[in-house]
Amino acid sequence: MSAINQAAVELFAAKAKPVSILVSEADSLERALDLAVSVCEKKPLAHLLLPDAAPDSARKKTLAAPGLDETSWNYLAEAGAKKGFEMIRGGLRNYLAGVDVTISVADLGVADTATCVLECPKEDDRLATMICETHVIALAKSKIVANSYEAESFLERALAKERNYTAFISGASRTADIERVLTLGVHGPLELHLVMIEA
Amino acid sequence: MTAPTMKTYHNSLKTALDDDFLRQTLDKFAVQYRANRQLIFADVNEKELIAEIADAKDASLDQLDQLYERFKIEAEKKGVVVHRAATAKDACDLVCQLAKENNVQTVIKSKSMTAEEIHLNHSLEEAGLKVTETDLGEWIIQLRHEGPSHMVMPAIHLSRHQVADVFAETTQRDQDSDISKLVKVARQELRAKFAGADMGVSGANFAVAQNGSIAICTNEGNGRLTTTLPRVHVAICGIDKLVPTIHDALRVIKVLPRNATAQAITTYVSWITGAVERQEDGQSAQKRFHVIFLDNGRSQLIQDAKCRQALRCVRCGACANVCPVYRLVGGHRMGYVYIGAIGLILTYFFHGHERAKLLAHNCVGCEACKDVCAAGIDLPAIIQEIRARLTEEFGSSMDVALLGKVLANRGLFHTLLKFAKWAQAPVKKGRYIRHLPEIFSLGQGFRALPAIANESFRDIWPALKPPFVPGAKKIGLFAGCAQDFIFPGHLRAAVTILAKLGVNVEFPLTQSCCGLPVQMMGQRAAAIATAKGNVLAFKSLDVDYVVTLCASCASHIKHRYADLLAGENMSADVKAFGDKIIDFSSLLTDVLKVKPETFVNNHEKVGYHYPCHLVRGMGVVEAPKTLLKAAGDYQPAAEEDVCCGFGGTYSIKFPEVSGTLLANKLNNLQATGATTVVTDCPGCFMQLDGGEAIRGGKLKVEHMAEFLARHLAK
Ligand code: SF4
Ligand code: SF4
Repeated sequence: MSAINQAAVELFAAKAKPVSILVSEADSLERALDLAVSVCEKKPLAHLLLPDAAPDSARKKTLAAPGLDETSWNYLAEAGAKKGFEMIRGGLRNYLAGVDVTISVADLGVADTATCVLECPKEDDRLATMICETHVIALAKSKIVANSYEAESFLERALAKERNYTAFISGASRTADIERVLTLGVHGPLELHLVMIEA
Repeated sequence: MTAPTMKTYHNSLKTALDDDFLRQTLDKFAVQYRANRQLIFADVNEKELIAEIADAKDASLDQLDQLYERFKIEAEKKGVVVHRAATAKDACDLVCQLAKENNVQTVIKSKSMTAEEIHLNHSLEEAGLKVTETDLGEWIIQLRHEGPSHMVMPAIHLSRHQVADVFAETTQRDQDSDISKLVKVARQELRAKFAGADMGVSGANFAVAQNGSIAICTNEGNGRLTTTLPRVHVAICGIDKLVPTIHDALRVIKVLPRNATAQAITTYVSWITGAVERQEDGQSAQKRFHVIFLDNGRSQLIQDAKCRQALRCVRCGACANVCPVYRLVGGHRMGYVYIGAIGLILTYFFHGHERAKLLAHNCVGCEACKDVCAAGIDLPAIIQEIRARLTEEFGSSMDVALLGKVLANRGLFHTLLKFAKWAQAPVKKGRYIRHLPEIFSLGQGFRALPAIANESFRDIWPALKPPFVPGAKKIGLFAGCAQDFIFPGHLRAAVTILAKLGVNVEFPLTQSCCGLPVQMMGQRAAAIATAKGNVLAFKSLDVDYVVTLCASCASHIKHRYADLLAGENMSADVKAFGDKIIDFSSLLTDVLKVKPETFVNNHEKVGYHYPCHLVRGMGVVEAPKTLLKAAGDYQPAAEEDVCCGFGGTYSIKFPEVSGTLLANKLNNLQATGATTVVTDCPGCFMQLDGGEAIRGGKLKVEHMAEFLARHLAK
């Protein structure tokens, strides 16, 4: 584990603000997962986008985390179940109408553009991060580099793999296509939360 | 769609100028963009990055075949199928064939200018496929059966009400014109399209040869869904999108979003490597992934030394964002598929000379585009080159060709001008021409045109020449035709100041027009002949500097002569001449180091108009302001460095656009409360002074030399 570049962490937080990323901090991944659960609890029930969706009264909130390792998933699944959420670890194609919250763990952060880098070789990873209304990303502070050139060696490794889909994500999905008015949440998440982990 | 004629083109320009919504939108955008762009570039070294991108792009263009081979090998190792299409038709046929082989019924697309270039939707629809654009702006114009009016914001010409109308028609429900609600309509309607599509077609911003990956930049996230949900993904991009390494892509990403929308980075950048995993009936399967590289004339363009820079383009759209013509008439009249300065160029290369014939002339030559281009492309130079080629191919109108012939012959030109002085007598009214012969005056009523002076500068020079001062600097004076024959007063004022400062002035009578006007009209032979004459006129004079009071002459001589005269075997002389060229304001501040005491400052309120060719062409920013502050009470105006609309013959060809640019300029100057307006170019002077005369305004317009001469301390 590399050391934390404090200047990069601060730069990231500063650059996140103007692109509407909601930044918070946590001591550990578990605390970040707790945060995702509470974000899910507080948000309104997802608005489903496909015609044959079940009525709101018959639905539970949905929390997806296809990319988590076994231990973290078990922890999250238990916490989510307690709140009565439907917990999703795979088969995201069955949820194209939308899920409430997805939590993922970033592989790298790039400070000067407030970018989270996520390798998404599996379709479920790609879908989960796009079809949720709120995306929560946990990012270890030690994984934050100052700028994109410092992310180059990471990218070289990611793109050298046989199959990969590496996503740079720097905010919620947005458009300014109508009268140049900035609007968040067009095809992807309406909101992006970033939890910086002390690690 | 057939190519417009001159008449239909002017009609559509007029319609655009009368479209209040479009005008307000683009005005607001132009002003905000400039401010936002400046802010977002604050933390990077803009010029250095752009120069690096230009170099790297040039190097890639030299080895595209190798890059293609490398990409193909790397990508095919990872299960991707890589194709190369020679023509637009080949590319369309290929996509249709892939659709058929894969039993595709429905196609979704994320934004791709390359797909627009080849009119892919049309072909797919003809093949019976259902195609849906998923970028919000692209979807809107698809529903309206229009083409994009901007490369980054395709629907910028539409109001929320127009969007609500077309959404209502599509959904068969009333739609509120609230923008966030309209965005939600698209979110809802398009999700079902994503879920049901068999094939996704995307563009690619980069194809990285090193590892056979592509990268796509989007804000909406539709690119990620398009490349993820359908069974088949077809990415289509020009072969110019090949880059050797990830570093090359990262470098462009530092500039592209900043230049496009003043963002540090787009919300999403997706790097796709290999035929990625997908779920099929609950089983893990592999995506079918095809990459198509489109040539469509690019290989040929690479061989075209004068224009190949155009292939550096990264499609940021900035050259439209800052273009004063685009701002007035919008993208549908400032391009065909590609928009803005690069649109004028690529239309010629990708969509036929016929279609580019009129478009290529709708550039006022202000160089604002060149100043911001992400890839450092000399766009106005390429546009001029294309004009010359179009003239060679289609010929030019009689009067233009005649003017070219006359200008190429200095003796004839000067004789004719003297003759014109007598010929205009019956139509002259004071300083201006009362009315022009019918054929010239169409649409020219927006500004008065100046009369040819009774005595040209070359006539009065012998009497003006200051006495020789031993040991003092020797300055050559390049007059240019406008000041020699129409505004000799500018030159007279300059000589008065230079004499007062005690320098020697030389004015060789063998000099002539700088040649820019004929160059702008595409008359190449005339441009070369005049250029050559001028280099020779100053060759043996041994002056320290050659000053010109015309920013356009200065910039043309400095930046274009070397190219124009490349075949004349005189490059050392051309370089020596160009190196000595200096504008009047810089000569005073930087070389002669005038002091405030040189002038009497009676606090006259004075505004300034930056000639395009001074501020961008010569990079002069501070000198004029320093002088105005010394001799008067300088009042900064809004958009001081935006073009006044003159552009030489541009104002004759497109009076409707030129007149509107002029009105904006005069309004901004008037708003400062200044009583006098100063500029550093006879063309701008003619435009501002003539415009103010017609609207009966009170602004007094002067050349810098006149203003300073009037305030010279005794
Ligand atoms: S030179 Fe000026 S008018 Fe011509 S395309 Fe560029 S910005 Fe537009
Ligand atoms: S020509 Fe330059 S400014 Fe215009 S779109 Fe291309 S890169 Fe951008």
